[in-house]
Amino acid sequence: MDLEVRSVSKRFGATIALDNVNLKIASGTIHSLIGENGAGKSTLGKILSGVYQLDSGEVELAGQAVTIGSPREALSRGITIIAQELSLVPSRNAADNVYLGIEDHAGPWVRRGVIKDRFEELTNTSGIIVPNDRPVSALSIGDQQKVEILRALARNAEVIVMDEPTARLSVEETAVLKDVMRSLRNQGKTIIFVSHFLGDVLDVSDAITIMRDGKIIRTSKPSDETHDSLVEAMTGRKAGEAFPAKTPPNSPAPVLEVNGLTRGMQFADISFTVGAGEIVALAGLVGSGRSEVARAIYGADPFDSGEVKLQGSVIKISHPATAIENGIAMIPESRKDQGLILDRSIRENISLPYLKKLSQLLMKRREENSMVAENFAAAGIRALSSEMTVRSLSGGNQQKALFARSLAGHPTLFIADEPTRGVDVGSKRAIYELLADLARKGMAVLVISSELDEVVGLAHRVIVMQTGRIVAELVGDQISESAVVSAAFSMKQREGLAS
Amino acid sequence: MTVVDTASRSINVKSLLSKYAIVWVTLLVFIFLSASTDAFLSADNLRNILDQQSVVLIVAAFTTIVLISGGFDVSLGAIYILAPLVALRVQNNINSAWLTLLAGILVGLIAGLLNGVIVAYGRINSFIATLATSFIFFGIAYLVSDGTILRVTDITMREVVTTRILGLTSATWIAFVVVAIAWIMLDRTRFGRYIFSVGGNFEAARLAGVRTNRVVVAAFVLAGAGAGLAGTLNSIRSVTAQASDDFSIIFAVIAAVVVGGTSIAGGSGAIWRSVVGVFFIAFIVNGFNLNGVDPVYQRIIQGAVILTAVGADAWSRRDKS
Repeated sequence: MDLEVRSVSKRFGATIALDNVNLKIASGTIHSLIGENGAGKSTLGKILSGVYQLDSGEVELAGQAVTIGSPREALSRGITIIAQELSLVPSRNAADNVYLGIEDHAGPWVRRGVIKDRFEELTNTSGIIVPNDRPVSALSIGDQQKVEILRALARNAEVIVMDEPTARLSVEETAVLKDVMRSLRNQGKTIIFVSHFLGDVLDVSDAITIMRDGKIIRTSKPSDETHDSLVEAMTGRKAGEAFPAKTPPNSPAPVLEVNGLTRGMQFADISFTVGAGEIVALAGLVGSGRSEVARAIYGADPFDSGEVKLQGSVIKISHPATAIENGIAMIPESRKDQGLILDRSIRENISLPYLKKLSQLLMKRREENSMVAENFAAAGIRALSSEMTVRSLSGGNQQKALFARSLAGHPTLFIADEPTRGVDVGSKRAIYELLADLARKGMAVLVISSELDEVVGLAHRVIVMQTGRIVAELVGDQISESAVVSAAFSMKQREGLAS
Repeated sequence: MTVVDTASRSINVKSLLSKYAIVWVTLLVFIFLSASTDAFLSADNLRNILDQQSVVLIVAAFTTIVLISGGFDVSLGAIYILAPLVALRVQNNINSAWLTLLAGILVGLIAGLLNGVIVAYGRINSFIATLATSFIFFGIAYLVSDGTILRVTDITMREVVTTRILGLTSATWIAFVVVAIAWIMLDRTRFGRYIFSVGGNFEAARLAGVRTNRVVVAAFVLAGAGAGLAGTLNSIRSVTAQASDDFSIIFAVIAAVVVGGTSIAGGSGAIWRSVVGVFFIAFIVNGFNLNGVDPVYQRIIQGAVILTAVGADAWSRRDKS
């Protein structure tokens, strides 16, 4: 079932999201849509799956012009979308979610046995296996995504739009998802893969369409493209070096010193330092305890034993407020869930931790404005005014708003947990520059990242964690993607536990 | 789309219409009643509306703050009953207007503190928690009053609420002051910022260093104190109080706040919205009364109007997203 888009345009208020777009997507292929945030790739995916309606132009399915007025209508034509935010019923198991709304029933009674049989058949034919013995809320994000895919298959979807499906997956889960995508393609399904992750795109696609400013730049085969050629086409700029030059400090004075930090089942005996002007990366698989260690240092979660020293003296941190007072800043893992108050202005989001200084009986708006203006510029936020709500910003600018908030406290220790997740290529580069710049100015920077190129490209020192323990520390020339991966997967830890 | 995030800055007629929809509708009701009903647009009638709504405004102001903080307090109805009983006991023993009012506020404050601590530190859903404490407060109300009617022994105490200042009753002025305080707190102080951040994204606020639990407690304490004050003013006006008094004010208050456009999901809302919401409902009820509509039908129509107002608001919000 070939899909063709003809002169499709779409506006949101004053912004043109899609500008006269023409595109052919061949049946039984994995077709990637890439571009910076705001390039129009998600909008196109949402128009095809009925989430948005086009303003002009037409969509042809197998040579027939069709209307796609709603997600339901799209589904009746065999097109469905798996959105970035999954839409499962958390308390029900996989089979219940897959057949939600299309249950086999006898009168009012749901025929559970039949549903179970059909679920098993579906998993067998598709080769997508998920545990069905627990509510989906107990499954990993990767498995939850598989449930969504099964749901699409159960409704006989032929075309599946996947909007940033790997954004929240670990490296291993991403590999599994790519296998699933390939096997679906081999079964004749069409997959439209909307993604920021160029490595995945090059790896899995049959065709890649690059978009910029609502227009299609080109469609090509992955064999004709490289990471740099894609970045160039997406940004319209020559791809320079991806990372700023490293300027490691000479024998840095330790700013942060962690000794024997331990917390229940999550991490144990964590000891390391971060020096002034140094970028240290905490690497390891998702679930290895990286974020948990960072959160404990920041006072977001308690720890059982060990100590945290800041510039030589032990500090007791029981709440993030204390951490901020002590000059620690943290950008949390999920900017939407843990970072930003989306419906408030950029200004209020930046000044939030410092309101004690910025108010007496009433808010001192003038001082607040100057603090905000200064850091708004320093973080390179691109928005018309700091009075805009954070929700209206792109992912990259939202992340920069968090940087602006952290910078405003003039921290001595800067922790960034997945600082470039879900951020477009241009903003990524800007964030790397910011981090390198902070280190150059003498800040101690602790970065947690699942993206290996980021770890290797930024860090002066890499600490690799596995199942809650530190298994390796890499410095200078020792730092390479393969060294980090082999440490993260090494069996040392498990053997150690067994003996 | 361009890389710089843009928002249309031109004054958009449609957004002005939808953002201030409740204001326009309330104005329409006002104009309609002024034109259709002779008795409506008279100084006496308007003064009466203001006087009657004074206690509702006081409770609504702080209920708005609780809702924006992401909480919900149904126990305000019970506090509104309990506080004046303690206050009248004080009045019966020490005949001081100030101490009587203070006692009422203090009872509300303590009850609010209990609510806040249970919700913030006990991690119990605020609707359920305050439903449970309602029973406790009503029970205490019967204990305090021995199940009897308490009376204000010194009738001159009514001057606290009935004194005319610039044509309006002192109760009205007290309400104005309370509303102004709530407005300033929410709009101009650090505390107001914390309220919006906690209601908008609790975890994000905590990680940004906001002492979220304390903010939640403070919101409930304020709401309790407001309900205590309002209940005491009401009982001084009627010179009596008993545990079986009408506590339905909390429903009127929540209806007014929500009709005004403050979200029960937390994170957004405004004091002025609740003030407009209170008068929207008050005008409609007053219009019914002046036109002799049967109270039974009044209630049914009132319910339908509230649903329509909230429904229209939900619809206009859905268009935006």
